[in-house]
Amino acid sequence: MDFDLMVEVTPLLIRAAWVTIDISSRAIFFGFFVACGLVFLQTFRFAPIRWFARGYISVIRGTPYFVQLLLVFYGGPSLGLRLDPITCGVVVGAFNIGAYMSEAIRGSIESVDKGQSEAARSLGFGKVQTMVSIVLPQAASLMIRSVGVLAIVLIKNSSLVSIISVVELTYQAQRLIGSTYKPLEIFTLSALMYIIIIYAVMGIIELAYRRATRYTTQ
Amino acid sequence: MEFDFTPVVTYFPTLLKGVGVGSLVAIAVALMSVVGGLVVAVISIYTKKVVSWPLRFFIWLFMTTPLLLQLYFLYFGLGEWILIPAIVVGILGLGFHYMAYNADIFIATIKSVSDGQYEASRSLGFGHWNTILYIIVPQAFIRSIPQLGNNMILMVKDTSVLSAIGVAELVYASQYAISVSFRPFEFFIVIALMYYVINILMELGQAWLERQTAYRR
Repeated sequence: MDFDLMVEVTPLLIRAAWVTIDISSRAIFFGFFVACGLVFLQTFRFAPIRWFARGYISVIRGTPYFVQLLLVFYGGPSLGLRLDPITCGVVVGAFNIGAYMSEAIRGSIESVDKGQSEAARSLGFGKVQTMVSIVLPQAASLMIRSVGVLAIVLIKNSSLVSIISVVELTYQAQRLIGSTYKPLEIFTLSALMYIIIIYAVMGIIELAYRRATRYTTQ
Repeated sequence: MEFDFTPVVTYFPTLLKGVGVGSLVAIAVALMSVVGGLVVAVISIYTKKVVSWPLRFFIWLFMTTPLLLQLYFLYFGLGEWILIPAIVVGILGLGFHYMAYNADIFIATIKSVSDGQYEASRSLGFGHWNTILYIIVPQAFIRSIPQLGNNMILMVKDTSVLSAIGVAELVYASQYAISVSFRPFEFFIVIALMYYVINILMELGQAWLERQTAYRR
């Protein structure tokens, strides 16, 4: 282990780690809205709208994230869609995680016993009110965990953005390995940074989970 | 905005060759990760901490870092010692990655097989390792099939990432054709479609396999 080198490259890797955090957090943020939109579209009476949402989810989940990224970044310009690499990473990430997240949200809402919403409706709650104050609080505990897992997957997948030349953690690590020929040192450091980021996210998820379940007895 | 799919038709044999290489890699990785994952899980449950803790550490390390970083590490790390073809690095990298994920599943399912099974088997005269091999592992394996299927579907999609280290699978095979035809959109749409078809076939296969083994669970 060459510790001098490790000290020397740490600032570079930390700066790259910030790019990873930046891209991932923005993708997760926008992805949440995509997911809510997809869940909403699936509640429409008009069948073609529901088919569109189902089809979108199926195609996104059935093709590799890597290919989606390449398609939008290199193929986008022929549709008049020119995005800079970081924006492209955020947009593709958001639309990708949105499809997975909508399934997680829908699943957690459906896991709430139907009797709950029926009881609420018969007690005079409106449709929206039933959703907001009866169903969602009960779905929250499951939703937080499953959305959290997806967020962690997205952070790991954000490494693929390096392929369209965004200087994030994996790109920087690859470049440093190539220039220093010290794969073990660079790998240790960059793996450590991913682990710190992921554990921080896991901590946030755990806090949110505890807050969502603070009134439930178990 | 005009689409021209003729270059895709011209280079279709190249793409098919890429599918072939990708399938070869996927089959090798599936074998390696399922068999390896089972061995790792059994060892990390039934041996002393000296052996099991390093294994658990590797499972944890492979699950908390991105695949691409692991691939770069293997590619450059191994490249320092010996010259091996990219496809071998790709199989090893993807294999170790999914070995960790599969081992994680096997650990959970092996623990879910009730202790009564072990005790009954021992009282019937099976030895410790024979019980594990003939009684516990087969039951755990059947229970793992749904999750293993999910992992393998994810793995097939991840073979596309191997193009980053120069494995000649579908995405990599299209690079040359794209660079001479300047039609990236058409090529990537067709590639995405091919992955989608493969994915649907795998999901059907998984559903079939689950139906076939459902009565044993």
